[in-house]
Amino acid sequence: MSDTGPELPDDDALAAEHALGVLNARERAAAELRMARDPAFAAEVETWRERLAGLLAGIAPVPVSEALWPRIERLLAANDNFEGLRKRLQMWRGAAAGAMALAAASVAGMMVMATQPPQVIEAPSPAPGALLNANLATQGGQPLFVAAYDPDRKALIITSLVPPGTDPLHVHQLWLIPGDKKPRSLGMVEPGTSKALPMPAPMATLVAEGAELAVSVEAPGGSTNPEGPTGPIAASGALAKI
Amino acid sequence: MPRIAAGDRAALRQLYAATSAKLFGVCLRILSDRDESEDVLQEVYLTIWRRADRFEAGRASVMTWISTIARNRAIDRLRARGPMAYAEPVDEIEIADGSTPADVLLEAADDAGALAACMDELDARTAQVIRTAFFEGLTYEALAARMATPLGTVKSWIRRGLLKLRGCLER
Repeated sequence: MSDTGPELPDDDALAAEHALGVLNARERAAAELRMARDPAFAAEVETWRERLAGLLAGIAPVPVSEALWPRIERLLAANDNFEGLRKRLQMWRGAAAGAMALAAASVAGMMVMATQPPQVIEAPSPAPGALLNANLATQGGQPLFVAAYDPDRKALIITSLVPPGTDPLHVHQLWLIPGDKKPRSLGMVEPGTSKALPMPAPMATLVAEGAELAVSVEAPGGSTNPEGPTGPIAASGALAKI
Repeated sequence: MPRIAAGDRAALRQLYAATSAKLFGVCLRILSDRDESEDVLQEVYLTIWRRADRFEAGRASVMTWISTIARNRAIDRLRARGPMAYAEPVDEIEIADGSTPADVLLEAADDAGALAACMDELDARTAQVIRTAFFEGLTYEALAARMATPLGTVKSWIRRGLLKLRGCLER
């Protein structure tokens, strides 16, 4: 006996296949990027995830070791969501008019940071030599980029997990969103490549535990707004001690 | 969930108490390894903590949303193991049933009942391929290789099966 009859058309099928997980690495990355810039497609994938989640309901619960919750609780501070990266970035996209005032405020903020002793800075500074890392994942939790910051060498290493050749019509722009919530462009990241970005002195003070990294999907040349992304955010993550 | 989004740790603790055993079961089902499942479970609750502000109450139940995060994270971990992860034979794939869900799981259980009935309407092979793909994160290519069946045939089975599932769930 075999199921016969019509198949899902290609485009409907893509959302279902992505939710089910049968796409290969390149197709998966392309689908994640499309979810970031196509809300209708993203909603269709979410609907399929809800449908298929019923398969999990038959699984019996298994008690967890009591040591796990204290482990999670210790990590909560480094994983605070603030008021939501997406909202902040949308606000910044619309804030070009106030850019001059905000830039001035930011310079003032940096001067305050530079003249105060380390213990009054809100985000704790890492111990010398402590590496920071970040997994930049999509809203659905799919990791698309990984980043590591070496405070001794003052260099950020960013690696794209997006297979080369994916979505050649767009570029991926990396942003640093430090404690002042103001995005700074760190340039483009080619799919499938890794690169080290030297962080000059004023920038290096902003790269601290809790600072967020985000990647937006932009037309070639990058965001037309120097103050923040023009295109949608594909992936984001906070820097944390390894 | 709004309390968790606002940074209320007690609310996350409550959600953990109500759902961790269920999600641990999901991770174990996919990974068959306690240590790895605990690592994934930790990531899952940290993800919920970070992203609770993105949960859309109108769309899914909380249980559906967090179960999907657990499944996707466990599948990511399984894929990171490399090709050895795909060594188990397909016959071992069976879905456990007859569990008694706690109060918070009741809503999800209703959805599951509908899906289970719809899966039963598929022919056995199609249902099995869809379950295998879902629980092992196998790509079309890997499924075709394991079943020694042409790629196009496997795609047809799954696409027809998914279309029938959608039709059945929308009835």
